[in-house]
Amino acid sequence: MAKISELLANLEMDELMEVVQKELDNGTDPVEILKEGEAGMVKVGEMFSSGEYFVSDLMMSGEMFKEMGEMLEPHLAGKTGDVLGKVVLGTVEGDIHDIGKDLVYIMLKSGGFDVIDVGVDAKPEVFVNALKESGAPLLALSCLLTTCYDSILNTVKAVEAAGLRDQVKIVIGGGPTDESVVRYTGADAVGDDAQSAVRLCKEMI
Amino acid sequence: MTKSLYEQRVELYKKTIAFENGRSSTAYAGPATPAAHYNMTIKDFMFDTKKGFKAYVDYVKELDSLASIDCINAPYPGKFNVALSLMWLSQIKVPGRDLPDDSLWQVHEKALIEIEDYDFIIEHGFAEFQQKYLPKVIGVDEIQDFMNYSMTEGPLQAQMLVENGLPQVNSIAFTPPFEALCGGRSMTKFYMDCYKRLDKIKEAQDVMFPTTIESTLETLKQTHAIGGWVGGWRGASGMVSPKIWDNLVWPYMKKAAEAFIDNSFIPIMHLDQNWDRDIERFLELPKQKFVLNTDGMTDLNRARKLLGDHVAFMGDVPAPILSMGTVAETEDYVKKLIDNVGAKGLIVTSGCDAPANAKFENMVAMYKTAVEYK
Repeated sequence: MAKISELLANLEMDELMEVVQKELDNGTDPVEILKEGEAGMVKVGEMFSSGEYFVSDLMMSGEMFKEMGEMLEPHLAGKTGDVLGKVVLGTVEGDIHDIGKDLVYIMLKSGGFDVIDVGVDAKPEVFVNALKESGAPLLALSCLLTTCYDSILNTVKAVEAAGLRDQVKIVIGGGPTDESVVRYTGADAVGDDAQSAVRLCKEMI
Repeated sequence: MTKSLYEQRVELYKKTIAFENGRSSTAYAGPATPAAHYNMTIKDFMFDTKKGFKAYVDYVKELDSLASIDCINAPYPGKFNVALSLMWLSQIKVPGRDLPDDSLWQVHEKALIEIEDYDFIIEHGFAEFQQKYLPKVIGVDEIQDFMNYSMTEGPLQAQMLVENGLPQVNSIAFTPPFEALCGGRSMTKFYMDCYKRLDKIKEAQDVMFPTTIESTLETLKQTHAIGGWVGGWRGASGMVSPKIWDNLVWPYMKKAAEAFIDNSFIPIMHLDQNWDRDIERFLELPKQKFVLNTDGMTDLNRARKLLGDHVAFMGDVPAPILSMGTVAETEDYVKKLIDNVGAKGLIVTSGCDAPANAKFENMVAMYKTAVEYK
């Protein structure tokens, strides 16, 4: 079983799927297989943080994890592994970029979070409604345009106006975001990359 | 005979590349920045090309009256969506049609290149592929309209820049095959392909490269250009694994830069994202014949230590400082940049494009500090 995490961490796609299929055929609990996949993703995240892996490696591992999840899904029958918490995720209003958001989605999922993805060009009320419906204590906002800083600001204000601000931590990320954008918008933290988004969410939950 | 301001500035650009400049040089790179300054929507700025270009020149001249703008690194973006679609084989959403009038144009990335298209390129060539593929991302009428615009207004714009003493050092952006395929296939899928089908992609890129470099050189020759970009976006060292970079990114960027130099054009290696891992590879290009143009994510302090006086730097004041920072923060960044890498061989500009909402006072502070500090 440890082989699954190794294969995922080594980005060996074909062999990983063969081994997952073999484990299923042998009657291994699919939740345990999923946990092994998550362990592999943790290893990938560590290798990214240490500079051994790069964004393409993160994406490759994300796709492998996704395919593995799809293979396991019919066998899980609603069972999941341990869920750390819920996160509402989306790209802010006026910005249609989705690649960074999608990468954060897969990294958060594999990191044990239940992620509610509201998509791109999402208005503040869309985020607020998702927070209300899900009860998520975390909000992750993606922004790739400097002209959309005000969309982050407006989203933070909408969360405040809805009376949720003291229950919800807000993480931002995307190319032109940094600490100065955190200060300007009233968010709580900024992630430099998909892996740091996972780390921040784990710290804040 | 006294040299014109334009000639003096071309000379300064070349001296900076040769590390013979007295002070830091400056370059303007804010394709969308003038619009807000003159209360124009991005839509009008981009598509009402006569008014838009006038606003662009007025803005640069306004800056130039307060601190020298020595050259132009990001041209006026008239009908820019067409150029971007051709470069990145992607659909571009534009203000007034797909987006609100004052939105910035944005790439709408979808996987439009299919797996089989790699074989099509290999078997039929890139030109034939473009004919088949381009209608998926841009209308033929739009391409024709863009060509008419370029042929009628392009020479007049070039003349106006010369008359205003503003050398355009980037006349065209060469898009390496990796970047074009990445745009058309979409980043996630293309990166996956790079792991699963590296040899096939390499074969396709080998077919694409001669077509794209020849057409780029032809444009450079026809426009009597000083130089242009060799673009590095998704192929950045921080983005892809060493195997992908060594096989699919660097060989083509290097060959393109060498082709520019062989034809007496100055390549500006326009490097978005982080290139720290591979920065020493730029020693493989001829000394003081090109420029490294970075966006604030590559460590220029480290790069200067590793590259010495091999190559001039153009950069790299980050977008958040220009759009949200103070004058003092902007000045501080530029001073530290000059302290770290030295004024010689340095062209101060924004990291990648100056943002559309850059504060005018910060733009002035960036250029004034570059010219007056040391």
